[in-house]
Amino acid sequence: MKDLARLRTAIKESVELALNQQIQMELTASSKYLAMAGWCDRMGYDYSAGFFYKQSEEERKHGMKLFHYLCDQGATAYSPEIPAVNQEYDSLRSVFEAVLEQEIAVTDSINRIIAICRRENDFATEELLKWYVKEQMEEEYIARRCLDLIDQIPADQVYYLDKKLSSVTYEDNVFE
Amino acid sequence: MTSNIPVTYQEVFKTDKGVVYQCDATHRLILEFWDTHTQFSARDFTHFRRMVETVDIRQMALSTAAEHDVEILALPRSERCYVLTLCEIVHLRELLSGARLMLELNSMLRECGCTVAE
Repeated sequence: MKDLARLRTAIKESVELALNQQIQMELTASSKYLAMAGWCDRMGYDYSAGFFYKQSEEERKHGMKLFHYLCDQGATAYSPEIPAVNQEYDSLRSVFEAVLEQEIAVTDSINRIIAICRRENDFATEELLKWYVKEQMEEEYIARRCLDLIDQIPADQVYYLDKKLSSVTYEDNVFE
Repeated sequence: MTSNIPVTYQEVFKTDKGVVYQCDATHRLILEFWDTHTQFSARDFTHFRRMVETVDIRQMALSTAAEHDVEILALPRSERCYVLTLCEIVHLRELLSGARLMLELNSMLRECGCTVAE
């Protein structure tokens, strides 16, 4: 008897479900960052707003990368429902605390999917997800560094803090 | 239910209420459930199985509202639909879950270089 599912795609159902959940997570993150950008814009944190607009675009690209991968492999990618996201924050610090929590959740999720790939012997998807592992290491670093800067820069230097936060990058990626 | 079965059909899983066949010639999975006969691609079969698995049977069992007496499931790429009672959904789940298990077993055997006797 032919293996019809395997003829259609190399991706197992458990991996397909996990990747679709990850697409939803990435696009929800994009929506959250857009809300953060809007809040920063309203509060006059123009540099941070720019930073979050860019992050929102990046998260969407992360989701689309998985979406295209599923389609290219013959699996089914679903356009996800995006839940309502928080639009208001107490402070710039609370925004970046939410960023760190979000990035930690994404890292944990990526790690869980890699574990599923290993269980299913899906080495191609694992190879794709290695890119996300590196990306998450950078994202978590940036969020932590921003929180450090908020602690280090005096509260009355708001303009300088805003400008400095938007310039944080991870230049020395040890994986590259 | 099982009379006049084409020779290309191979039984995947069977219960009292229905049977799932696979046709290697057309790459279709065929669901016979009570008096219905439906052909699916592998993708649509998985999609339909997930639809059946995600029906909230707890709500159907506990709710007194008429709208929860039956569940309407639209078949992928078809104008037909199933209108199922709680019992029918349970029977259909049993059939589709059994078929899924057998298809996964077939897949595992092929990965090991074995084939199911035909």
